[in-house]
Amino acid sequence: MTDPAAQFSSKDVPSALMRQTLLDRERVRPQTPQPVSRLLPWLNVVTIGGRSIMDRGRDAILPLVDELRDALTTHRMLIATGAGIRARHVFGVALDLGLPTGVLASLASVEAEQNGHMIAALLAEQGVSYLAHTSVGHQLAGHLAASPAAVSNGFPPYELFEFPPAVGKIPPHRTDTGAFLIADAYGAARTIYVKDVDGIHTCDPATAAQGDAELISRVEARELIAMNLPTLPIDRLVPELMGNAKHVKEIQIVNGLVRGNITKALHGEHVGTIVYAE
Amino acid sequence: MADQEDAGALQSLLMSRSLTDLELLEASATAPDYAILPDASVVKIGGQSLIDRGRAAVYPIVEQLVEAKRDHPLMIGTGAGTRARHLYALAAELGLPTGVLTDIGSAVAGQNAAILGHLMARHGVPVVGGTGFAAIALYLDQCGAAIFGGMPPYDMWQHLPTEGVIPPYRTDAGCWLVAEVYGCRSMIFVKDEDGLYTANPKTDPDAKLIESITVDELIAVDLPDLIIERPLLELMRHARHATTIQVVNGLKPGLLTRALAGEHVGTIISTA
Repeated sequence: MTDPAAQFSSKDVPSALMRQTLLDRERVRPQTPQPVSRLLPWLNVVTIGGRSIMDRGRDAILPLVDELRDALTTHRMLIATGAGIRARHVFGVALDLGLPTGVLASLASVEAEQNGHMIAALLAEQGVSYLAHTSVGHQLAGHLAASPAAVSNGFPPYELFEFPPAVGKIPPHRTDTGAFLIADAYGAARTIYVKDVDGIHTCDPATAAQGDAELISRVEARELIAMNLPTLPIDRLVPELMGNAKHVKEIQIVNGLVRGNITKALHGEHVGTIVYAE
Repeated sequence: MADQEDAGALQSLLMSRSLTDLELLEASATAPDYAILPDASVVKIGGQSLIDRGRAAVYPIVEQLVEAKRDHPLMIGTGAGTRARHLYALAAELGLPTGVLTDIGSAVAGQNAAILGHLMARHGVPVVGGTGFAAIALYLDQCGAAIFGGMPPYDMWQHLPTEGVIPPYRTDAGCWLVAEVYGCRSMIFVKDEDGLYTANPKTDPDAKLIESITVDELIAVDLPDLIIERPLLELMRHARHATTIQVVNGLKPGLLTRALAGEHVGTIISTA
């Protein structure tokens, strides 16, 4: 290997990565890899489904907000909201017009944001506010020092820079993926997905004949991918990304229509489907 | 009409199925593709490869860009370079996560965009970022070009790399995604080599230039080092617009101009 110092010129800032393409697998590998710190080790990231919870309205949302309100006394949370039926509508309009995936992602993200504003408003009295992406990315620590929770848009800020998906044109990075990525970046203690099903089933319990949909209580991420289930209650990207996770090696999907499930999951109890990465 | 049947089926799946539903995902592939800015080209100016070299490399590139924007609306993205490498090395040493590295690396691409912006100001070329993209059509129409920092806005939501903490999607991916989402006519990466080589020509004297190659071939040969970000190849496999990119040498006069005119002057990487 060439001595980096020999190549140093006034146009370089000396560093271990100086003059590298950052693409050479051998050279980019850290010589003394440092463990990645958990920036907020006490953080709980709780994702509230758009289609599964928000679209159900008052009957589903108010009891769930009550439960979150109680949980605020013992747990610090980033609450991420999903998009739901309005995102489906805007996807329909934009797809029909031939618009690209990045535009679809920008449009749908707005819907998740509106759901976040509503959840934050319901918890405002407890000091909870809605945070835009830039605040979540830069000031979450300060907000959570002042308040037990904050609400944000579950969609990651990919928008026009969304990946073209492997199949079709629906944006692959949606609420569940966004919540997973921010949870891992902050080194969250728990990552919980609140949906309207008891967890991952062998087929969609909403459409399957009674008794056909079996609950999978615990599954390894790669095994889940290999099962290639026709539908999943979380974004397909989440189990794929879990393999590279630095911290979030376990997520839980719980039924938010059953009172007490979120609280139990926050305390580490197994009440839904746990997906883990080895 | 098959088109209308497809559209009807897609609408009904969208309102009834999970967005993870495989049938829905396949149906969404039947939607048409509308190119938003089909006449524009995206040009990426390398950070380490060009801007860090200073006047000798940058002034001639600016001249070419000014000349080229008369005929081609240009979206000019910038790379990060040596300061980003310093930041990445320091942040990794401190045990900071990929999201933090992305955020601070992004600022370096932004500095390079500002530098290029000052040099092109007298030619009426603005720097845009974030929500500024909403006015990109106006800038291209009125000024012929606009400059942006090439890092995608993933910040704390960046994907995790398989190993280490260096952000996997950086300025090559960011610039290409601009070309893809706007349906641009060409995507040109301006670097300091004649194109893609079988190895890094700066360190390996036996490295041979590859004039053209498909994305699948390039993934299959699995070169130890690459002139463009490796994850970009996987993104390109699913391109609906930006199916071809060209890597050209910005240190050689005139090559960027010729590439914008559609000539093959570097390495062309395409999906088929």
